[in-house]
Amino acid sequence: MRDQIARYAGKLLADRSALPGHIAFAAHDDVLLSEGHPKLARLCEGVLSSLSCLGLAAARPSLPFADFLVRRAGKEASRIVPQDTETRTFLHDIPFLRRDELGNDAPARIADLLGSRKGMIAEGLGIVAAGAVTVEQAYIHYSSIFHAAFVKYLLDVLSEGFRLPGEREAFEEFRRSWLRPLDAEGLAFRGAPLEAPEEILKEIAAVGRYTVERGLVDSFFGNISLRAGGTIYISQTAASLDDLAGRIDPVPMDNSSTTGITASSELLAHRRIYEESCGRAILHGHPKFAVAMSMVCEEKGCSVTDCWRDCDKVRWLGDTPVVAGEIGAGGLARRVPPVIAGPRKAMVYGHGVFTLGLDGFADAFRAMVDVENGCRREYFRRLSPKLAG
Amino acid sequence: MENSPLTGWHGTLLHVDLAAGTSRVEPIPRDLLLGYLGGRGLGVRLLRGAHTLDPFHADMPLIFAVGPLCGTPAPTAARLNVVSRSPLTGTVYDCSAGGRFAHRLKAAGFDALRIVGRSPRPAAISVTPEGGEILPAGSLWGKSVGETVRALEGRGSVAAIGPAGENGVLFASILMGEGNAVGRGGLGAVMGGKNLKAIAVNGSRSTGIADRARFERARQDVMRLFRASPVIFGELGISEYGTPALVDLMRQRRMAPTENFRKTVFEGSGSYSGPSIRKAYGSKKDGCHGCPIQCKKSDREGAHLPEYETVSHFGALNGIDDLGSIVRSNRLCNELGMDTISAAATLAAWGEGRGRFPAADEVEGLLADMAFLRGEGGLLAQGSRRVAQALGKPGLSMSVKSLELPAYDPRGAYGMALAYCTSNRGGCHLRAYPISHEILRKPVATDRFSFSGKARIIKIAEDTNAAVDSLVACKFSFFGATLEEYAEMLAAVTGEEFGPQSLKEIGERICLTERFYNCANGFDAKDDRLPERFFREPGSSGEGIEIPPIDEKRFDEELRKYYRIRGLTPEGTFSDPGYLSRLP
Ligand SMILES: [Zn+2]
Repeated sequence: MRDQIARYAGKLLADRSALPGHIAFAAHDDVLLSEGHPKLARLCEGVLSSLSCLGLAAARPSLPFADFLVRRAGKEASRIVPQDTETRTFLHDIPFLRRDELGNDAPARIADLLGSRKGMIAEGLGIVAAGAVTVEQAYIHYSSIFHAAFVKYLLDVLSEGFRLPGEREAFEEFRRSWLRPLDAEGLAFRGAPLEAPEEILKEIAAVGRYTVERGLVDSFFGNISLRAGGTIYISQTAASLDDLAGRIDPVPMDNSSTTGITASSELLAHRRIYEESCGRAILHGHPKFAVAMSMVCEEKGCSVTDCWRDCDKVRWLGDTPVVAGEIGAGGLARRVPPVIAGPRKAMVYGHGVFTLGLDGFADAFRAMVDVENGCRREYFRRLSPKLAG
Repeated sequence: MENSPLTGWHGTLLHVDLAAGTSRVEPIPRDLLLGYLGGRGLGVRLLRGAHTLDPFHADMPLIFAVGPLCGTPAPTAARLNVVSRSPLTGTVYDCSAGGRFAHRLKAAGFDALRIVGRSPRPAAISVTPEGGEILPAGSLWGKSVGETVRALEGRGSVAAIGPAGENGVLFASILMGEGNAVGRGGLGAVMGGKNLKAIAVNGSRSTGIADRARFERARQDVMRLFRASPVIFGELGISEYGTPALVDLMRQRRMAPTENFRKTVFEGSGSYSGPSIRKAYGSKKDGCHGCPIQCKKSDREGAHLPEYETVSHFGALNGIDDLGSIVRSNRLCNELGMDTISAAATLAAWGEGRGRFPAADEVEGLLADMAFLRGEGGLLAQGSRRVAQALGKPGLSMSVKSLELPAYDPRGAYGMALAYCTSNRGGCHLRAYPISHEILRKPVATDRFSFSGKARIIKIAEDTNAAVDSLVACKFSFFGATLEEYAEMLAAVTGEEFGPQSLKEIGERICLTERFYNCANGFDAKDDRLPERFFREPGSSGEGIEIPPIDEKRFDEELRKYYRIRGLTPEGTFSDPGYLSRLP
């Protein structure tokens, strides 16, 4: 159990989603144990002791966006409703407790909320997330809430500007020092021909790791595949991009075996992309600026209300097509393949980016970096009047 | 509002006494509905007081219970649980089944049907909103399940036993008219012991929903999660191929029980994989009433095709790679009214004992012998534990608490190994269902070759699934959705607040009640044991996957942890004999 805690505390540091020194976990084996920042660790123990869950994470996020969202929310609000697919699909919305609601018995109040939810924001304390089955699950829920708050804050600032004292300064500090340039410099990619299964598995694991190490995406959401002959080698469902060794399924293109029932939920999308293009490698992740910008839609007089599911337009962000469609069997697999073959990249509304490599991952990786960099540039270009104002 | 009416439940049960030939409607106290929900929980609670009776005692209740979500559009919720005490295992026993029957029982206006007494002559029960009517069924006695269902068609949805249930086969099943089985544990023999051939239910009452907008939001959330789940709606998932989608996976993971668990890889398994069945039979989607997943498959004529457990046990476990024979065995079991898993596993134990597994063309004859207690069938009808004992080789019964293990070798998933033993109904995969995370990676993956944390995980999962079985929803929903969305639907239906935590607390109450009943019948730690084979013999290693025997010391350590987490004594019993009296 302690090794699990060390591992996921390490991931929160590596992906820079939590403030160093302000991370704690608790886990419930036959006894309750906790590690990390003493006050947060006590909080974790207090919360977990009244929950029938295995793990709990509490950490102060490295950015103040979650707290800003709580303070920007209306007086009556008890939750924020981010529009990205991770939230929409898995979290639904994110409940919060304000500083004055936490009162003197924060553990009890938080446990009460987590009795029916996967994670929450405690103003002034941080993000608290539960894992029913594993410590990893608590980490995943923390990471999703961090992602959702990040994307929502970008969009809220873009549409509503800054409202609170200190917000603008914090945002400028985020842009200056938290954001780091994204590039593919110095990464080694194997070129064609990649045919030997051993080579393929190694390359997929390496490239998956690059996407996380370079800060392009968070570790848990996303998938990656390579086609060789009649086989698609694809990352498994619920596998982390930076930990794919032993978690890649070889799936025959002709569905003659169902071993790939454990493959990524986007297997169908990957297969159709291969069928409709001459690509050999596919990368999919949720880079945050791309997720945010995919939802900036300027259509006027549109009658669609469920944009994620029902929008059948192809919009363009620069030279990248943007389509809608929910995860898995929910429509993304129908709308991405027709638009990706030419530009070899595509964005999905509120969700993320798919890129296609012609003979390996080098061009797919660069394309994803370019899409996210392009979205960052476009975001700040649109925000500049507000930053100046 | 302490006494505001609850929506979702009718608040009544129908009590039928077959000995007296009477029936009456009884209210179900509000605190039992809120404390046990329905289905398994309510059934287990209603069994209290009768739980130490012999399974064949006339007063032993046989309870059919639906849940608060049944009758609403909640996905996979048209299910019920049948609860009694198993003649095969001696434990409290419940079985979940889908189909129109559950829906109709709810629509007849009852949350549960409780049957006691032994009818002096073969009988059937007809349930309508007016109550219960006992019908003579002499002409149906001896008939197959299909014939019985057809004979009663005009009276609504039918649940029936076949000859196996009439003859007391210890793993006789109850079949729903649409082919869903109350498969395991021999509840069909309990029904047969009451001289009850069939039950028909009909009605058209609706189930109220307190907050429709809230319900619809939660239902949409569930559907979105189903679509995001590769196991459910993926192109290789169970909606496409049914549970035989697992055949290739278990082969690849090297944990497909083969030749009575002597091996864990069967080279011929490809002949009954999901894609092979589809190719041979043109499988169509089929399934429970109102279920969006439709994981059951039927052939071009609409006849049901076997599930994963069934193909694997009539296949690999008996060393048979003949798909035609496997499909025929499945059909025969359903017509005769026998659990396919226990039937196939009993044949395998007997086969190993006599030094030869049955050939493909012998199986059907043996199954008929079992159902009619002919020749060796009389012994086989008692299940693998009693067969192995009679052969003087008790170690050959691959069972826990006499319930034959299904088609997941415990040497390939250590949580499964533990869960087989802690299950209150014996060697069942569905109580904690660790296959979900150990193999199918849902909701997240755990290391299948590690015991670390598994005692806690199994405890939480048992509680969770006890709640799921009481809603009643299908376990397969939870390859996508979580208790969170189902709690939200339950709150919207009933107008009472529920969350995952409160549901797990209800689940814990149910699990401990069951364990308490079992302890009252003499069960303790000595019965929470895997067959020795798994600690002594390796499985079939290869392709970079090592399948060693299970580390017995580590297993015992984790089992002791489980007892501590459950608040039990080191013997797996209750230190407080008054435990039940403090529960609602
Ligand atoms: Zn995605």
